[in-house]
Amino acid sequence: MTRGEAHDKARDVVTAGGGAPSGATRLARLRRLLRHASRRSPYFQASLGGLQVDSILDERDFASRVPLSDLEGLEAARAATGDPFSGRKCAPECRGQLVFQLESDGEVPLYVALGRSEAQSYARALGRCWRLLGLDKGDRVAIFDFGSSPLSYLASGAFLPYVSRGAADGLACIPVCNDGVSQMGQRAVEIARFVRPRAFFVRSDCMFPFIQEAERQGISLRDYIGAIVVAENEGLPSARSCRAWADALGLPVYRLLRVDAAMFLGIECPSCGLLHVDSGSYFVETVVPGRGRDADSDGGGRLAITNLFARLTPAIRYACPVLAGRIGPGCPLSPEDDRFRLV
Amino acid sequence: MRRDQEKVATEFMDQTETWPIEKLRRLRRRRLRALVRYAYANLPFYRRRYDEAGIAPESVKGPVDFARLPMVTKADIRRAREDSGSFLTGMESFPNGDLATIGMTSGTTGTDFLYCNRKWRQFQGGRLLRAYWWAGLRPGMRMMLTVPAWHCWAAEESYLAERFGVVGVVPWGTFLPRFAGNFVDAIRDLRPEFLSMFLPMLYAVQAECRRRGLALHEVFAGVRCVLVVGAPLTPASRQKLEADLGVDVYTGAGATEGLIAMECSEHRGYHLFVDTCYLEVVDPPTGALLPPGERGRLVLTAFNPHGTVYIRFDTGDLGRVVKAPCACGRTWPLIEVYDRLDNMFAAEGREFVPYDVRLCVDEIPELTGVPFSVIRSVPRVRADRASPTSPLWLAIQRPLSGNLRSLEDSLAAEIGRKLRVKAAIQWVEELPARWKGAPVIDEMEWKEIARG
Ligand SMILES: [Zn+2]
Ligand SMILES: [Zn+2]
Repeated sequence: MTRGEAHDKARDVVTAGGGAPSGATRLARLRRLLRHASRRSPYFQASLGGLQVDSILDERDFASRVPLSDLEGLEAARAATGDPFSGRKCAPECRGQLVFQLESDGEVPLYVALGRSEAQSYARALGRCWRLLGLDKGDRVAIFDFGSSPLSYLASGAFLPYVSRGAADGLACIPVCNDGVSQMGQRAVEIARFVRPRAFFVRSDCMFPFIQEAERQGISLRDYIGAIVVAENEGLPSARSCRAWADALGLPVYRLLRVDAAMFLGIECPSCGLLHVDSGSYFVETVVPGRGRDADSDGGGRLAITNLFARLTPAIRYACPVLAGRIGPGCPLSPEDDRFRLV
Repeated sequence: MRRDQEKVATEFMDQTETWPIEKLRRLRRRRLRALVRYAYANLPFYRRRYDEAGIAPESVKGPVDFARLPMVTKADIRRAREDSGSFLTGMESFPNGDLATIGMTSGTTGTDFLYCNRKWRQFQGGRLLRAYWWAGLRPGMRMMLTVPAWHCWAAEESYLAERFGVVGVVPWGTFLPRFAGNFVDAIRDLRPEFLSMFLPMLYAVQAECRRRGLALHEVFAGVRCVLVVGAPLTPASRQKLEADLGVDVYTGAGATEGLIAMECSEHRGYHLFVDTCYLEVVDPPTGALLPPGERGRLVLTAFNPHGTVYIRFDTGDLGRVVKAPCACGRTWPLIEVYDRLDNMFAAEGREFVPYDVRLCVDEIPELTGVPFSVIRSVPRVRADRASPTSPLWLAIQRPLSGNLRSLEDSLAAEIGRKLRVKAAIQWVEELPARWKGAPVIDEMEWKEIARG
């Protein structure tokens, strides 16, 4: 067994053992992550400089003493250091097998690097989203996004080297991808007609061309598809848009949040309607910038993600612009997941 | 790592590469026989067709009998799909509980689905691995992974990438010029040593470098080899690319349906991977087998018995088998693949493909590799209605340097000399951005583009 496999095994125990990791376990993992990042990642060496990791008492303490990070910060660090990883990558002994360029509108290209077991954990996070939708053996799943999006490349072990089990493989589903350009609406409709996917994951900017093309062809998508999941990186279409799409199509429409810089994936639950977060993979807070953690949420704040599996390019308290309020675990579909109400 | 590398290296020394031709023929006969029997016994699509044609699988003993089997066209597959209402058409070996993905083809005429299970991927990827070795990929290299997941090629490439133990670099986007900037960034930031991409995308990357004022040699300083596919590259284009980028450039010919053919270091055509597929060259109208050296329609049979199985599939490509043996010593036949038959056009009553024009354009140093489109006055299906006096109408991107007047004269003269037709040349700022370029555009569409 390699170290990566041992790591995966350990995670299996945590996630399969029923229930979220206990507070103590999670705190231990957060401390381990901080120790690792502050020793090996130049970016976190700078931001966590002098932090006495062992003196962090609990998650609240973690929130008040560990600084937030975000996209602008990574871009600024890239500009200042010239390093494509913004100094975040743990160098040099962590080599990594996969490097992804992040989707961005900006002029500054940024990257994350993953080793084999991290890529596997990332794929498992997508698999949990699929499972929450009720996807099961033999179901077909379609993805209308770029091949460079985690929605696509984590869908199957056949799409990416070093990932032996993509989301589909764990559930014995069969995935099909479309390219994420809006001109591909016609092909998306063909996929719907002949593959009949139980779930169709669609980049939110491809929703309009998809619907328009189906209308043009006189195709009623609900005859072919079970549900639509709209996704974006560091953003989400509004609940109102989703309701309008759902009404127009006569199909359930859920939202999936990608935060690629933090290797995060979370999905709206068909049962409780809240954003589910795999607490074995992520520690997510809601924060109001300038105020640190938004204590026990209500009005909500930005989602700040600490990735518990990413070792090579750590993501610690990475704040994305999506606003939500924390609800906590308790959904019967997946009781251990942490949950957030999207604002 | 070293033992891994040795293990991988031995996989490329396929002994059949240099087998005597007679021995290769015997191997091919055995494979064809086995495949036909397998398809008849397991795949309803083929059983129905062979029954209808009155051909018993046992009667197929060699290539001549094999050529009597009905050809499979894209239209046949679409019909079967419409009938079944599913991507499954009866051409698939579909074991229950199989880990699989559905791949698609990038055809311009619609989508075709392929069922790609893990055994399919292992078979196909394991062979493509050798093609990448020929092109210079080596264990542990940094490799840019750009093939989008919808394409079966992605499943094959990811397989071989893992076997090579590469560090995979994935830029954001797809093979469209608007993402060339991301590709350039990834090449500069992460210094991949091996790239594989469609030819038009490589040109888009070059154009993006020029737009940013970046020296190509510097951008490509870390790159050792580039494998380009998706369009034939003339010898002059390849030499120019190698000189401009300062890297080794290899081209391969592949098809989702199972064709693998790859250049060796002699660059004299593509060696057909005879352990992977069998290619017939047939007369386009009659379907009769053509002898080596003659241009015709390429009909593909893939030996991969997993996933979707293709037997006598009409690729829609025009090509030929090269008669002369290759100096590299490999006995695997050399083929040339020119273009889609759909891209044929008529000028002064004779038929050509864009590759014929490419050979002329590339003779003019300032125009080597410069994108062009042939504007076709009548669509291919009505080629017989083309005016016998209509010249070759060429829209070509304005080059970076050179006097247009004299370039136009040189190009028209070259086309006159090589193709013996007159040319009407139109300089344009840019051509439509498509996956595999736009080698031919019908006049109606061209007018629409011009209207914007
Ligand atoms: Zn729920
Ligand atoms: Zn050769």
